[in-house]
Amino acid sequence: MGGAGRGDVSRSQERGQNRALEMDLIREAQAGSRAAFDALVRQYEHQVLRLALHLTGSEHDAEDIYQEAFLKAFRYIGNFRFECSFYTWIYRIVTNLCLDQLRRRKTRREDHAVVVDRTGDEIDVLASISDNRSFSNPARELDRKLLGEKIQAALTKLTPRERMVFELKHYQGLRLRTIGEMLNTTEETAKNTLFRATKKLRAQLADLR
Amino acid sequence: MNCELAQERMVTAAYGELPDELVHELERHVAGCADCRKEREQVLALKVLADAHRVAEPNPNLVARAHLRLDEALDALPPKRWYERVGERILNNFASLQAAPAAALLLLIAGAGAGILGGYEYAQARAAHAAAQASNPSAAPVQPVTAVPELANIASISGIVREPNSEIVDVSFNQVVPRQVTGSLDDPAIRQLLMLATENSASQGVRDDSVALLAAECRAGHSCQPTGIREALMVALRYDRSARVRQKALEGLEPYVADDVRVRDAVLEAVLKDSDPAVRTAAIGLLEPVEADTSVRQVLYSVSNSDQSPQIRNVSRQVLSRVPETQ
Repeated sequence: MGGAGRGDVSRSQERGQNRALEMDLIREAQAGSRAAFDALVRQYEHQVLRLALHLTGSEHDAEDIYQEAFLKAFRYIGNFRFECSFYTWIYRIVTNLCLDQLRRRKTRREDHAVVVDRTGDEIDVLASISDNRSFSNPARELDRKLLGEKIQAALTKLTPRERMVFELKHYQGLRLRTIGEMLNTTEETAKNTLFRATKKLRAQLADLR
Repeated sequence: MNCELAQERMVTAAYGELPDELVHELERHVAGCADCRKEREQVLALKVLADAHRVAEPNPNLVARAHLRLDEALDALPPKRWYERVGERILNNFASLQAAPAAALLLLIAGAGAGILGGYEYAQARAAHAAAQASNPSAAPVQPVTAVPELANIASISGIVREPNSEIVDVSFNQVVPRQVTGSLDDPAIRQLLMLATENSASQGVRDDSVALLAAECRAGHSCQPTGIREALMVALRYDRSARVRQKALEGLEPYVADDVRVRDAVLEAVLKDSDPAVRTAAIGLLEPVEADTSVRQVLYSVSNSDQSPQIRNVSRQVLSRVPETQ
């Protein structure tokens, strides 16, 4: 118990130190340091791309969202007031851009289980995920692929906001309170949106159960 | 708890966000309600199903490409103007104060107090000034409090501020403090001062004296290193406005024309470009035959054939006739 307690304390201290380092970086970036801003980008770029890629299904669109998000961050970092974490702030920018992207799409591609790279070639995301079992089951893989496609089709039926909340909660693992901050709303509203999203998805996927 | 509320909460519970006391309440309800038990199974099944649509990790190429593109876009952004930076800083400071109401209030009180006091003092001073002027209208303009120093000791003027609505002007200046030092010509510190004096654009006489002394040291072979004095003389030969100073510099460089190619080049430049014929003639006279260097012959040929001054053409032909062919 004591050991676990000590572990908690040291993790808490580490988080505090990391937070302090990040605040220093932000201040330096606000003062105009490109190196500091670059360090901040490197901390969050992977997560930003992962979110954008999963939502849009397109490497090209994900790159565009990445570019726009970090350019906005660079332009407006002077306005960052440390009232929330930088993580929440940058994600707020990204989610708004993703929401705009979802709203702009008038027609959804039929097949969302593939990702389109910059050359226009399609990469089957599900097939590209390595199977770390000693031998794979092709039939099972096919089932999973088809299921993934059905899930994706069901997700397109959600409103952009419902899609975003479900994405952030289920796939990105964020807390509802954080999701509320990112979408500039309350935790309660985020909770209700999640409930509506899951209800709609269950209705769409009823034949699979 | 009714079923509608239970079904809402079971979604939150499935994602681990329901507070513990509410989880207990929910469990109790679900234990007694078959419909809600079925509902919960469906929520959990949905979670499993949704995982079939996996989150792909962005590949390193995509990350690198995106980062590179961002770097290019940031490089292309114009830098912020100074007023934009100042404005941001002010807004940030205000925003920081907003988060500290007590500090903001104290600052406001202190600022208001300072403003009132300052205004009162200023008004008093203006009233006194006006009263003095009124009592003696024929008096000469008020002299500034600080006496103006001698102009000869002033190095530069760094600022001028005029008081609003008045004849009073604040002038900031930098003052020269005259100093004197005595030492031997072999003393490195003295030499440094002499070399500095060769660049003294204010006084012709000072440059003249310094170059003459340094040239004499070089002619006497007193530690005239390639860097330092020799360089100072070359600079004086190339750039000094006074022909006499340039001539003295030539005299100091004479011992090194044969051995130091940089000195030779400086002398050849003087032959070609100096504005004073006497300096050019003296420079030609310094050129000694150098077996390995054809630049001397080339310059002398050029000058002997095409120079506008007949005297220069003559002198260069004479030297050419004495310079043997190169090996």
